[in-house]
Amino acid sequence: MNTSAETIVESTPPIPPPARDLQPRRTARDYAAVRAMTKKAFTKLAQLDPEDPGRAEIREQLVRLHLPLAEHLARRFSNRGEPFDDLAQVGTIGLLKAVDRFEPERGVEFSTYATPTIVGEIKRHFRDRGWSIRVPRRLQEMRLELSTVTADLTQELSRSPTVTELAGRLQVDPDSVLEGLESANAYSTLSLDAPDTRDDFGGTMAEALRFDDDAFGHIEDRESLKPLLVKLAPRDRKILLLRFFHGMTQSQIAAEIGMSQMHVSRLLSRTLATLRQELLSD
Amino acid sequence: MTDVQDRPVDVRDIAEIDMSVPAEGAYLSVLRTAAAGLAARLNFTLDDIEDLRIAVDEACSILLAQAIAGSRLTCAFHMTEDSVTVRASVRAASPRIPSRDGFSWTVLMALTSRVEFDVRPPDLLSIELSHQRPAVGPA
Repeated sequence: MNTSAETIVESTPPIPPPARDLQPRRTARDYAAVRAMTKKAFTKLAQLDPEDPGRAEIREQLVRLHLPLAEHLARRFSNRGEPFDDLAQVGTIGLLKAVDRFEPERGVEFSTYATPTIVGEIKRHFRDRGWSIRVPRRLQEMRLELSTVTADLTQELSRSPTVTELAGRLQVDPDSVLEGLESANAYSTLSLDAPDTRDDFGGTMAEALRFDDDAFGHIEDRESLKPLLVKLAPRDRKILLLRFFHGMTQSQIAAEIGMSQMHVSRLLSRTLATLRQELLSD
Repeated sequence: MTDVQDRPVDVRDIAEIDMSVPAEGAYLSVLRTAAAGLAARLNFTLDDIEDLRIAVDEACSILLAQAIAGSRLTCAFHMTEDSVTVRASVRAASPRIPSRDGFSWTVLMALTSRVEFDVRPPDLLSIELSHQRPAVGPA
């Protein structure tokens, strides 16, 4: 990712690249000093008019002060296949958001407030990028092409395509398609996926419970299932219900929800694994 | 997968594949991949391939939950022109067949054409899944 922080957050002064190896480690005394400076800066910021040009300078100062925090957090994710520099930059974006949203009067330390915001931004980056393990660029490209061509062919054929059909359209051999599918399954199936809690899939708790009565009436372990379903992200729950209780195919669900069939497959696998783990642990 | 130069294998000539892996979750991906690869070669659609992949995962996970520690999970794939049958087995201390009315069974039924569990005393628990390729419409 080459997008720099300043193009994403408008009117932000340039932020120097992380000079991580040049800065000596901070001592306890340094931390105390940072805390004091942070407090002072936020107090000053609160006194300035929202339009005051001086705000930018203080924001920059706050960001500089806490760059080591963003880098420290980025480093915690640096063995997961994304370059450290990208992660540090994404972390810095999180830091900027934290500076802008922090409310000193709530009485928590800025670093306490900023940490989840920065980590959230880094995790979101992984989610957007999607790769939970390192996959060669060639395969990432194959996956993207497959995703597009699968959607095209599904539309043309009014059914899901076969590997041979995909290979024909992409002018590659079927083994390459299989390899691409395999790598697509390596994509984002593991832990980093914090549940997507956005509720823009029409999923509410009431709906989950209604579904439960309609669809799960015959299911013996529905009482154990019910609380687990409620805990699922609305999107994941919707996909699960459409596939298993409304008999829709993965490609139909993909079209309905607006994502690729491969993504539907991955989310289904993940949801089933979650439910299984919890049902079996009873 | 490597770039083998051989002619593509016609799975219908093989028809039987036996695999045996340690009864541990870490090895499930081997079986999932095998299932998906075989289904792809039978010209299943992506929907069916992915359904089978998920079904094998679900079925084997059910078995693993009961498997005796340190034992093996065996998996036999039988192919015909338009179907894959997967038979997976583990040794379990006290083999239990999941309820037909349970969630797992519902899931497996939705993903495949046929699901059967069976126990061979004293301790062999097996599940057999078949996935029939639906008649593929004109391409």
